[in-house]
This record gives sequence, C-alpha cells and structure tokens, in this order.
Amino acid sequence: MSEKTETALGVLQKQVNQPLAAALEVCARCGICTEACHYYQAEPIAAHMPSMRAEELRKVYRSEYDWLSKLFPAWTRSEKLTDEKLATLAEMAFTKCTLCARCTINCPMGVDTPLLMTSIRAMATATGNAPEILEMLADSAIEKGRDPSSYLGYFLDSIKDMEKELQELTGNPQARIPVQKKGARILYVALAGAHTILPAAAIFETVREDWTLSIYEAANYGVFLGDASRAKAIARRIADEARELGVQEIVISECGHAYYAMRWTAPNWFGDEFNFRVRSIVEVIADYVQRGRLDLDPAANPEPIAYHDSCNLGRKGGVIEEPRIIMKAVTTDFRELTPSREEAYCCGGGSGLVANPDVMDLRMLTGKPKVEQVRRSGASIVVAACENCRLQLGDLSAHYGAGFGVTAIADLVVKAMRLPGAKNTIETAMTSAQLDAVRVEK
Amino acid sequence: MNFLLLTQLLAAAAAVFCIAAFALRLRTFLRLARPADRSALKGSPAKGVAYALTLGMAPWAKESTRRHAIAYLRGVGFHLTVFLSLGVLLLSPWLAQVPGPIRIGLAIVTGFGAALAFLGFVSRFFEKSLKALSAPDDYFAILLVSLFLAAGTVALWNLALLPMFYIASALVFVYMPLGKIRHCIYFFFSRLFFGKFFGRRGVFPHGQQEMTA
Repeated sequence: MSEKTETALGVLQKQVNQPLAAALEVCARCGICTEACHYYQAEPIAAHMPSMRAEELRKVYRSEYDWLSKLFPAWTRSEKLTDEKLATLAEMAFTKCTLCARCTINCPMGVDTPLLMTSIRAMATATGNAPEILEMLADSAIEKGRDPSSYLGYFLDSIKDMEKELQELTGNPQARIPVQKKGARILYVALAGAHTILPAAAIFETVREDWTLSIYEAANYGVFLGDASRAKAIARRIADEARELGVQEIVISECGHAYYAMRWTAPNWFGDEFNFRVRSIVEVIADYVQRGRLDLDPAANPEPIAYHDSCNLGRKGGVIEEPRIIMKAVTTDFRELTPSREEAYCCGGGSGLVANPDVMDLRMLTGKPKVEQVRRSGASIVVAACENCRLQLGDLSAHYGAGFGVTAIADLVVKAMRLPGAKNTIETAMTSAQLDAVRVEK
Repeated sequence: MNFLLLTQLLAAAAAVFCIAAFALRLRTFLRLARPADRSALKGSPAKGVAYALTLGMAPWAKESTRRHAIAYLRGVGFHLTVFLSLGVLLLSPWLAQVPGPIRIGLAIVTGFGAALAFLGFVSRFFEKSLKALSAPDDYFAILLVSLFLAAGTVALWNLALLPMFYIASALVFVYMPLGKIRHCIYFFFSRLFFGKFFGRRGVFPHGQQEMTA
C-alpha cells in the first residue's frame, strides 16, 4: 500500500460517523435515483448514475470494513484502494458530481450521496489529488485572513469609489458604505466585485439599515475541497470580524455555497463562539418586502423572468419561499421553472466546477437540462441567488444560443426601487470569463 | 428427531445467529460518532423525521418514484410480504390451527410477494442501469428472498412442506447480516438523518417554511 492510499484510507476512517456509515451501507442498488441526476439526464450512461458513483467509494469501503468482501471481493465487487483508483475517485468526486443532493431527495432510502462525494474530496485533497485551482483559491483566502493589512488600503479605496456610485444611484450624497463599523446590527459579507456590494448597499441605504461591509469575501473554497480545516479557517475570518465588531447578524451575499457554509456548517465548527444569526441577503430582502419597507414597482421588470433555485440555497439551505416573495413583488411576469423548489435541477456549475476551466465542456453538457427548462418556461431573464449558478447560466445561454439573460435578485429589486440614478437595464450577461477577469484584476 | 423438528431447530439456530450478528453490527454502528447539529432551526427536525418515515415514502412524494411508480410499488410490495412471511414463520408451529381459508389467503399474498421479488431478480438481468449496478451479491440476495417467500407460500398451502420453509428461512437468516440484505437495519437511520437534515431547514415536510423577522 502506498503512502497516498494509506493517507486516503486514514482520512476515510476518520470521517466514518453514523450518517456516513448509513450512506455507505443502506443502498439497495435499486437504481430509482438514476434519472434524478442532471449528469444522467444530459448523458444517460451508467457512470452518471448517482448510485454508481457512490458504489465506487463503497467498493473501497467494503474491501476495508466488510469481511465477506475481504474474503470474496468479486462477490460484492469490492476493490482495494490503489493510487490509480484514488485518482479516478478524485476525478469523479470533483467533476462528475455537483453535490446538489437531488439524488438524495429522490432516493427511497435517502442516501446522502453528497456526503459520500465530499468524503472522497477530503481523501483526494489530503493526498494531493484535488484540482489545483480550488486549493489555490482556498489558500489565498486563508492568507488574506492572516494579514488583511496587505490589501486593506486598496480595498478601502475601492469602497470609497463605490460610495460615489452609490450616491449617484440613490441620489443621496450622504449615502455611505460603512466598513469596520463597530456595533452595527448587520455584517454584510459580499463577493469579489462591486456587483454584489452596490445593489445591497442601495437596499440597506433605502431601508436605513444599520450595517457594515465585511473586509472579507464570502466565498469558501475549502468547502469544495471537502477540507474542514481550510473551510473552517476561511469561515473563521468572518466569524472573528463579526465578534470584533459586535454585530448581531451576518448576512451573506447571493452566493449558495457561502450561505450554506456559514448558515448550516459554521455553527458546528465554532460551537458557542458562533452566536450570530446568519441569513442570506435574499431572506433579508424578503423580510423588507413583507414589512413594506421597500417601495417597489414591479412594472420596472416587465420581461418574462424565471427564478433558478440554487441547490445550496434551496434544497440544501431551505431558502425556497423567500426568493418567490421577492420575485412576485418586483416583476410582472414571473415564471416557475419545472421542476423547481426542492426538486430543481442543478445548473451544472456548482461545488467548484465553475472555477475549474478544465471542465467547461462537461459543464455545458450537464447544464443542458437547465437550458431546456428555461426554454420551456419562455423566460428571457433567469434570476439566480448564487454567483456560481449565474456564471454557469450565463455560459449556458451563450453556449446554446438560448438568448436568456442572467441576473441577481438584488439587481431586480434595485431596478424595481426606481432609484434616481438607476439604469434602465440591468447587467444580464454574466459569464465565467468575466469572473476570471475579476480574479486577474484582483 | 423427525425432519420437521430438525429443520425447525436449524431455522431457530440461524435466527439466533442473525440476531446476534445484527446486534453486533448495530453496536458497531451506534459506537460511531453522531455529529450534533448546532445550526439554528429554520424548520422542525421532528416533523422532518416524521415525514421521512411516513408521507415521504409515498409513491407520489418523489419525482423518481412518480417516474418509476411500478418498480417502486413492486419493491414496497415485496418488502411488505417479507415482513408478513417473517410473521408466518413465527406463527408456523401453530399454522395447523389457522383456518384453511385464512392460510390460503395468506399464501396468495406471499405468493404475490414471491412473484414481485422474482421479477426484481429478473429485472436485474434486463434493465440496463440495474445490470450495471448489480454485483453477484445483489442477484443472490433477491433470489434467496424470492425462494424464502415462495417456500412460505407453499408451506401455507400445504403444511407438509413446512420443512422447506424452515430451510429457506435458515439460509436467509444466515446470509442476512453478511450480504446486501443487511441494508435493512440501516434504513431507519438513513431516513432519520434525511428527515433531520431536511426538516431542520424547513424543506420537508412542505409548507413549514416560516418567514422570521
């Protein structure tokens, strides 16, 4: 056994807890989950069956933990872990599954396939089999957390420039984007680029929210790596900032995995230290809408508009009704994709795939069911509350010549607010190439 | 010792082995960590668990089971008749006292279950996705259970054939904790974790999403 396989098996052993053991043992190989997967929908081959993917880990698990399999490996098709097998598993877990959990809700047993795939990702990351780009992005975020002074000056300057844009947009020369404001009620954690800061700032300004902008980005690439220590280190920067500023609530930008990590996972990492409420900006805006704190004109968005449920936000995050509350308040022709809500198809770009340029062709292939959904709906704009989904949807629209635009919820809200400096159009042509440009700029 | 008693003892010994092996498996499983979820609730884990073990199993609850309604109902029917046959096995020493029409009625039901199980065995050969997934363990397990159900059916029909039922039962009991059939003890845990996860988030059961200020 090589050092790599030994390490990988050690990682697997450490991870085996009750939920993982149940997911490894319970599958009856009935195949009912098969068509639930967007990979299989796009390309109906056995390798794209969720149960088949999970079997690849089970084969290794059985060869280590099941004595019948140890005696008669062919009987249960168990397989010893080798370096080659580990590389195959890693490639599968990082590119052939977006951890969307659609198979889980469609499985009669409720097999948590994303948990199995995350375990493989952890094994792969520990043995140097993870995509380099994800490791690089995670490490760079951790590094920034160690020494914010290296970029803080530049960041504050860019916020000052953004503040001028905000003043123009709102028509209020007093409008501010507060940063590091002690005692603010909300710490808003955005993504790289003004597009996730300005609309939120305009909304907060309009409702006179007591908020401050985080100096960190919400994105957490440690989660994609299945590397709890790196994911925790990235989340800790934000948790520490929230504690130092004394905020009551952390609000995450329209980003699926960042929301999932802070809302549902971080409390388990930090325990009692983590005593903040965490919400998505989508939940906060829906709250403003329901309380009548925003004056919205749905006629500002007359196009047929559909909402795409991000898996991390919707099925896995429980933010399902809130975006619909907003959509109904800011549009006149809101259309549901079929299926939607917890049954929505993954766009094909989740769990770090959008960041990986090597899988562009695969992303375009597996996003096809989503494009067909949008086409059937007749929508000319698709709204997604997740940056990765928006990038993938933009790429899909361009690739298939589908002609639909892609935007964020906050952009539609700002348009419906009819602010004095608002443009008549919104940015709807986001692609992953633009993300790369933002990264290069940074 | 007559043949009937011998087969009864064989089945009883196999049942003891099965219970002991499952108890061991369960002990190993329960010794594993069960991570506590400290995230704030959006929905109710209890409602989620209740849903996962009841309506969440309904054929209309999932896209997959709506799409594969016949295959799913075949599976449900076959599993229910397995439990029925286990009940018959427990009552078997007193089967002679059960009125004939009831025995025949039970035989029809378990016979139907045996047919459903055998159909499952056959479909593993012909359905592309199932064939790709199946290991020899899968074929053997379903064939074994089909034989168990069939043996139960003939024993209900003709009590003289009870030894055949006991032998089939012994084989099932011995294989159960070793091979694929062992998934049965993990089923409730898997549904429990499923229910807690989606219940906590207010995803299942539907309609429990609350807007909180």
